[in-house]
Amino acid sequence: MSAALPDPVLAYQPGIYPRSERVVAATRGLERGRVTQAEVDGAYREDLDDFVQVQKQARLDFFSDGLLRWQDIFRPLAHAAGVPARILTRWFDNNAFFRAPELETPLGSRDVILDAIVPDGSVPLPRVGTLPSPYMFSRAAATHADRNQLMLDIARDVLQPAARVLAGAGCRLIHLQEPWVGFFGIEGGDVAPFERALAALGDGVDAGIVLHVYYGDAGRFVDWLRRLPVHAVGVDLVETDLAALGTGWEVGLMAGCVDGRSSIVEDEERTAELVRQVAETVQPPVLYVSSSSDLELLPRDVARLKVQCLGGAVRRLTQPVAP
Amino acid sequence: MKPLLTHEVGSLDKPSWRVKAYAGQPLSEDDVESARHWGERLSVPEYPALIDLLRAAPLGREQKQALRRWSSLYAVRLLETAGLDAVYDGEQQRTEMYDWTVAHSEGFERRGSVRAFDNKYYTKAAATGPVSLREPFLNDEFAYIHSVAQAELKVPATGAYTIADWSFDEHYYRDGDLTLAAEQRRAARHSSRRRFVLDVARNIIRPNMQALIGLGARWIQVDEPGASTEPDELELFAESFNASVEGLDATFSTHLCFSDYDLFFPAIEAMTACRQFAVGFANYDSLELGTSHESRPGYRVIPKFRDLSYRPILGLGVVDIHSDFIESPELVRDRILYAVDVFDDPHRIHVTPDCGLRTRSWQVAFAKLRNMVAGTELARKALGL
Repeated sequence: MSAALPDPVLAYQPGIYPRSERVVAATRGLERGRVTQAEVDGAYREDLDDFVQVQKQARLDFFSDGLLRWQDIFRPLAHAAGVPARILTRWFDNNAFFRAPELETPLGSRDVILDAIVPDGSVPLPRVGTLPSPYMFSRAAATHADRNQLMLDIARDVLQPAARVLAGAGCRLIHLQEPWVGFFGIEGGDVAPFERALAALGDGVDAGIVLHVYYGDAGRFVDWLRRLPVHAVGVDLVETDLAALGTGWEVGLMAGCVDGRSSIVEDEERTAELVRQVAETVQPPVLYVSSSSDLELLPRDVARLKVQCLGGAVRRLTQPVAP
Repeated sequence: MKPLLTHEVGSLDKPSWRVKAYAGQPLSEDDVESARHWGERLSVPEYPALIDLLRAAPLGREQKQALRRWSSLYAVRLLETAGLDAVYDGEQQRTEMYDWTVAHSEGFERRGSVRAFDNKYYTKAAATGPVSLREPFLNDEFAYIHSVAQAELKVPATGAYTIADWSFDEHYYRDGDLTLAAEQRRAARHSSRRRFVLDVARNIIRPNMQALIGLGARWIQVDEPGASTEPDELELFAESFNASVEGLDATFSTHLCFSDYDLFFPAIEAMTACRQFAVGFANYDSLELGTSHESRPGYRVIPKFRDLSYRPILGLGVVDIHSDFIESPELVRDRILYAVDVFDDPHRIHVTPDCGLRTRSWQVAFAKLRNMVAGTELARKALGL
């Protein structure tokens, strides 16, 4: 490895991975009574096998199940918490929507059943699990409650148990999606409650927590982000100036180096050069390389090429071909 | 236009007999029975000819063309039978609102399915070259619908901003070198995006509308469900609407849905050629009866539409298209009465579903629309109209 690079530099692909045309057709057919549940299950199984294979071929360092059955990033957690998710709400500035969980405090009295989030046994170890960040969850929810109190409740009663379940299922990283801070920012009065929520979420969780700020410029908050009680902070380099990240980080960095919303597939060599520049500029103790956002908003064939680019770029740096 | 005019917004589900026979799949007796049932229910006296056509499947090219027209006819009759004042055909002849436009344009290539929500997807294309109209793509359907409809027609046509927003861009903005300064990249993205959107408006949407108007279309609804996707581009949305319609001789309206509608202000103050905004509200509203401000939380934003200087009509979404819940006439009535009270002018309120009803079965869509019309009648009575 280059002396300028942190050790380790690791690649992974979190979040919701796009479904295949076969699953698209099967789920559509099921809703119209033309396809059986067994056929749908078979299509999902093929998708999972394919995604695992893609990650292996790309030689990623952590494996995900692609959350292939998740209807959005909140739905299984809302179901587990026994709360409805009904109101269709735009997912930031995308032609995509989620159903806002209808949450009121307190949540603690509910029996949270989290079986649906456990990765399938066929997903290799070590794994990465993905959850919504408590700040985004509390802001995206339909609620009349105080959102900071709700955030703490969500972190303690839903996300911490979920993170423990994932860690117990072999996830060495818990990747928290936090586009809300990236897109809308965060008010000063919300900062301390968010920090408490993150601490509560990570309490007793035997895995590294990565907070991924995306769909916006993380450079605005970089001094604060570096002090958060997490293992690593993720940034969206499509929206963030590399020079704004500073240097000498005390926490790990997850660099979103391929664009999760563009169908143009990045060049592997240029991506490797970007990763090298990130490493040399920021000098984090550990560098994770991933996409700027999850790949859900891309067609599956494009997403596959992006995953291959990620793995290939990291290998170019960590296992250079001998002259 | 008459006060509290009722109309649909766009799409209806395609009947199973239409989908299967068109795709060359075997038809079941249930499919054929559905064609018979709706033919009788909607008083389509010539429906036995459709049954004969279905029995003749697999269909050739001309037979498939006839099948699409049958589907159009049924949808027109469904909307007319429900009692709507203005109708179209539920977009029965199109593949889908985005794909149909892109498929008849130059400069796009399909990339694959992308999820919108739950198990709903659309086939997303990328702009791979300069975009332009290959051929007018609503002429055939309009000519047919014009020949069979008894009610006034309102033609839904997807707008420029939505077409661009729902597409990938592999032509106008290519160099995403992430080592460049973010501000520099952002500026390049915005200027490329503007060229893309306005090219769609000027080179695809506008000439297609000109062709429709030449055939006699008098009211065209520019569908812009993507309009508020990027809050910092709302002025571009308004500019693209104006570029699409300015100077053309027809009534133009637009349809907005599933957004934070506050975002549209003040940008849409520039859309002075827009005579009506059809906007989805019921999805956000309470199901309780009542005409007070507290009873109608989904309609909180409507004073902003009222206060637009060019005094457009508001197409008031009173039916949730994402639920099988059938709104009662009384609930529809109360939503209308609340809006009329806010506007203080029933001539500036039209009554519509939130959006196209294609995610609902015909049974549910018909029941919802019937109650929408019944609720409008209740409101008319209450207002003495």
